This record gives sequence, structure tokens and C-alpha cells, in this order.
Amino acid sequence: MNHETILKMGRYRELSLKDADPGVVKNLHRFMLRLRRCEEALIAEYHPADEMKCPIHFCIGQEAVPAALSVVIKPEDYLFSHHRTHGFYLAKGGPMNSLFAEMYGKATGASGGLAGSQDLSMPSVNFCSGAILSGATALAVGAALGFQRQKKKHVAVAGFGDGASDEGVFWEGLNYAALHKLPIVFVCENNRYSTYSPQFKRMASENISERVATFGVTARTVFGNDVMACTSMLREMVEGARAGRGPYFLEAFTYRMNSHVGPEDDSYVGYRPKEEFDFWQQNCPISLLEERMVEQNLLSAPEKEKILKKINSEIAASFEFAKKSPFPGNAEWSKLNYSRGSPLADQLLKDCELKEFNQNQADTIPGPY
Amino acid sequence: MPPQTFGKAINQALTQAMELSPDVMVLGQLVDYKSGVFGTTTGLVERFGPERVQDFPVSEGLMTSAAIGAALVGMRPVIVHQRIDFMMYSLDAIVNWLSLMRFKSNGHSNLPVTIRAIVGKGWGQGPQHSKSLHAWFAHLPGLKVAVPATAYDAKGLLLESIFGEDPVMIIEHRSLYSMTEDVPEAPYRVRFGHAHVRRRGKDVTLVAIGSMVPMALRAADQLASESIDVEVVDLRTLSPLDDGTVCESVSKTKRLVVADPAWRSVSVAAEIIALVSERLGDKLLANPQRICFPDSHTPMSAPLEKEYYPDEARMVQVVRKASLE
Ligand SMILES: Cc1ncc(C[n+]2csc(CCOP(=O)(O)OP(=O)(O)O)c2C)c(N)n1
Repeated sequence: MNHETILKMGRYRELSLKDADPGVVKNLHRFMLRLRRCEEALIAEYHPADEMKCPIHFCIGQEAVPAALSVVIKPEDYLFSHHRTHGFYLAKGGPMNSLFAEMYGKATGASGGLAGSQDLSMPSVNFCSGAILSGATALAVGAALGFQRQKKKHVAVAGFGDGASDEGVFWEGLNYAALHKLPIVFVCENNRYSTYSPQFKRMASENISERVATFGVTARTVFGNDVMACTSMLREMVEGARAGRGPYFLEAFTYRMNSHVGPEDDSYVGYRPKEEFDFWQQNCPISLLEERMVEQNLLSAPEKEKILKKINSEIAASFEFAKKSPFPGNAEWSKLNYSRGSPLADQLLKDCELKEFNQNQADTIPGPY
Repeated sequence: MPPQTFGKAINQALTQAMELSPDVMVLGQLVDYKSGVFGTTTGLVERFGPERVQDFPVSEGLMTSAAIGAALVGMRPVIVHQRIDFMMYSLDAIVNWLSLMRFKSNGHSNLPVTIRAIVGKGWGQGPQHSKSLHAWFAHLPGLKVAVPATAYDAKGLLLESIFGEDPVMIIEHRSLYSMTEDVPEAPYRVRFGHAHVRRRGKDVTLVAIGSMVPMALRAADQLASESIDVEVVDLRTLSPLDDGTVCESVSKTKRLVVADPAWRSVSVAAEIIALVSERLGDKLLANPQRICFPDSHTPMSAPLEKEYYPDEARMVQVVRKASLE
């Protein structure tokens, strides 16, 4: 599967609820709606008052992978993400209040207003992101190493885009993870573009997973707007990684509907064909799922209304929380960058007086190299 | 001389360099799009083709190493980073190869590689889009470092770099791109190691770097109304550094303030103060001062960002104090 073959599919008909737990299906649906509404609400508020003074990479159209992750990973698992953070953050159970507050640069934000959308982190829910492309995928490898050493049955998940796989550090991490069979799942949301640059301008072959497989990593592709397929694949991978059969790589083909950064319509740049855009609009992950849910009597119009009402009031409350929250007070810069104490060192180490300096030590005979 | 923005002047320098020599090529993410890295590369691909103007994969480490290899065999590559932060993947290539090649080949190899790296500021750029790392690179032997503050310098230093024989890092501050100035049409050079006295004064020397230069000139204007006569020295290049012009100015004014858009500790500001102290310490009438960023990463939150970056008022205050002491 790749973007070329996907475009030939027309409207996607394969999403299936067979064997699915109705409770899970409803959770997936609710998650996607909530994420979509969050993004739409942030977009509506983004420019008018310019109160969110930070770049935001919106993820409208890319709701399925975070939704799938939200039902297959556990609180103790760790999720690392790139700059397009909101979906992954919510997937990890990050609260909406602190997400919104972070956008407003408030003290109550997930990162206390210091980081903003593209560097959002929340250690309390095991979520970390950063704007340096691919860097976080390598951190995920380290987290997986830690879990393995600590003999914990936790999994590290790295969420990133096709562009991130241009970086060398990504392939280094992949090699190392394969070598040590680390409990990690790499989830590549292949939305075909790195900013404006399409995959074929950056790679000789479009399919990243084929290359990944040659590293000895189980690699698969999925239509990334089919939330059910994403869920079952990610479930298998996360469980496999948890059982020590990792690492895994999932290439989920999806699409972002807004500009790379900010909410604008960037069609004037002319970097993506209209047919492509229309295809993905017709295959919105939420409507694909809803269509089946309605068929199976899992969703009715009044039910959806009810869900939306709840989400909207949560969003309204989060805006209120964010806007009412205080800005961080005057900064004590040195305290923001260094710890003031060393509790473990205090516990494990003694202060030691250096009685005398061996002035001859520089003359010790050098080794054979 | 038509007025030109800083961004347009860079665009003109690149266009002219590519016209002057087929060995010049431009590599970087999105250099071949209309938006062209804040307008600095707009139009190049239409003119010179995709072989010479390349949208590079997100592989900064490779980009620098490849530029080094290309330069070894005779090319004069210019590489572009939308943010200096993204360039960090190329540290090995810069530190262990680029800056070292002339030295370790005993002068037989040289690498005319130009690296353009942009620093972001304001509107929540946050800690991974705003680092000012010129001091790091000025510390490194074998690499020239320029921090242009005007459109004129941006064009002249870029051309000098492209057609010079050594690797150069040009650090451009995004806040300067829209500033306009009269810029000669013809390709011209601004040599490295020549600071420029942008304002003559006798009471205090204000040495400024990059984005601090326009602020320093405004502060000097304001202080002039209080009858404090500030001499503003724009360093232009940090490596080589024009210590002569700095010391000459301080010998006259006997007071020194350095405005360096970077962290305070172990900064270029610290270096300037050190070299003035070594040579003129006994002649100074006041303790030298620095105007820098706190030793902290950049906060995203707007009020903290405002507190983080020194403003004109703070600069006026520091210079006034130094001149009255
Ligand atoms: C090391 C580095 N280089 C360049 C950038 C600039 N940049 C930010 S996002 C992006 C494109 C990312 O594309 P992809 O990984 O596919 O993720 P997407 O934005 O499509 O979700 C680029 C090039 C960066 N953030 N970090």
C-alpha cells in the first residue's frame, strides 16, 4: 500500500466492525470527535484575538491513529511524539485543560506555558514531544531500553511523520531497537508531505515500511483513516512488544487537512493536487467509522448530539480554564534550568575533601593507543 | 541604490552568485518553493533548475557532509536552515570535518561551504526554534562566523562567503528580514573581520551584534536627547573578530557596553569584555556591562518571552548607568 494505490480506491469501503467490542468502537468514535472538535475550537479561537501566541500544527484528518493508540496503550506506557502533538497528547490521557492552557502560555499549561504546542510534554501522563524532527523517536528507543533493563512490561511508542524518516537518527534507532529486541512500537503517520515537500521529492521509493523491514523489524502498512484497522494492528503490535517480540513499525497512510502549521488553507502553494485533497476529505476517519456504526445501530443522530454536547461543554470549560488561568509569574531563569538539590546524591554519596593533588599523574605512561 | 529588504538582499546575493559561477548550488528544505525560506530563495529554482536549487530531505547531518564532499571536488554549496536549531544534527560534520579540513590537510584542502542558519524570535517560538548559538561557532577555529544586521551586510557578507575559500556560518535573525536599506545592485563584497562604526559618539562604546544593532541605534538616539553620546559598533563578523575597531573606540570613550543576542555566560559579549580588559583595563572609567539573554532556554509564554528578551528600555538603562558611573 502507498499513497498512489490509495488514491485509486475511491471511497474506502473496507472498514469493518466485525468482532469489535461495541464499547471500544464507541470509545474510538468519542475520542476522534473530541480531538476533531478540540482542533476546530482552537482554530476558531486562534487568530481573532491572537491570544495563543505560538505556532500550532493541527491534526484534523489524522484522528484515527491517536484514537487507536488511546485504546491500546496503558497509562504506564510512554508515548513520544513530534511537533504535531495534540492527538498523541490526548491519546496518552493528557487533560484538555492543560492542553488549552499551554496554548495560551499559562502557568497551568502542561508545560507551565514554557513550551507551547510543538514542544508539549507531560511527564505525569508519560508523554513527551519535541519540535526537532525525529529526535523523539530516538528518545523512545531509550525509554524502551530502560523498560527492558528494568524488566518492566511497559512499551514505548514513537509517533512521527514520513518526513521524520528522512533523518539518520531514525534509522540508527531502528537498528538498535532491532538488535536488542526492544519493547517499542514506531508509528509513522505517513501524510505524504514534509511541510510542502512530497515524499517522492525526498525518497526514491515511497514505501517506508519496506525499508524498515530490512532492519529486522516487523513492519506493516495500514489505511490510516480506518480506525478499526489501525486499532487491531496497533493492539497486536503493542501486545507483541509487551511480550518481548518487538520492535514493531506501523506505517499508517493518512492526510492532514490544514496547512502544515497554522489553520490556513494552503492550496495556493499548489503542492498538493485537488483530487488528492478531495479524496481524503471524502475519507474522513470519523465519517468512515460513523457510517458503519449507524449501520450496526451503534450510533444514532440523538446519541451523536449527546456526545457532541458533552464534548462542547468540556471544550468551553477548558477555554474558560485556560483564559482565566494566570500567566507564569516573573521568571527565575536559573531555577527553570537547574535543579536546586540532589536528593539521591545526598542519600548515596559523601562529601569528600581532596587532601592533596598528585601532581605527577599527568605523567603516567600512556596506553598502547 | 534601490532600497531593499534584508530578505530580498539575500535573495539577490544568491541569484547573482549563481549567475557568476556554475559551481554555486543551494541546498535546503523548501528552497525551491515560492515562499522560499522567508523569501530568500524565491525564484532561484525557476532560474537555475532543480539540480542547482535542491529541496533537501530532512537530513541536516547528511546535507552538511554532502556539502563538504561537494566542496572538496570544487563546488561552492550554500546550505540553508530554517532554524539554527535544526542544524544541530550536523554538529559532527561542522566540528569534526568542516572546520578542520584546511588544518588537517596542512592547507591542501579547503572548503568553501556557506551555511545560512536562521534564528527565530517572538510569538512563542519556544525552546527548539530560537537558540542563538553564534558563540559556539565563533569558538571553533577554522570556521568564519558572520552575524549581519543590515541588508547591505547580508548581501555583501553572503557573496564574500560564497566566493571566499573557507567555510562560513552566517547567522541571520528572522526579525531583521523586513528591514530595508539602500543596497547596491551590483555584486559586491563585505570583508570579514571589519566591524562598522554605525554611529560616532564620545561618551560610551556600545558594541552590538546582529539583531541588537537596530536596537542599539534607537537606544543611542534616545540617549542623545539626554546628552549622552553613544558610539555604536556593529561587529558584523565574530570570527574573525575586529578587535582593533572595538579597542580604538573604547580607547576614546573609556566605557564599554556589549549587546549580544545570546545567553550571557561564556558569550561573545564575555569575550569582548575580556579582550578590552586585557588591553585597556586600566583606562576604563566604568565597569564594562553586558546586555544578553538570561542563562535560560527560551520560554514560549508571551509575558515570559517579553521578560526574556532585553528591550530598548533596558538597553537605555544599562548604557546610561555605564556612562554616568
Ligand atoms: C531537525 C529538523 N529539521 C527540520 C525541521 C522543520 N520541520 C518541521 S515539521 C517538518 C516536516 C515534518 O514532516 P513529517 O515528519 O512528515 O510530519 P508531519 O508534519 O507531516 O506530520 C519540518 C521539515 C524540524 N522541525 N526539525
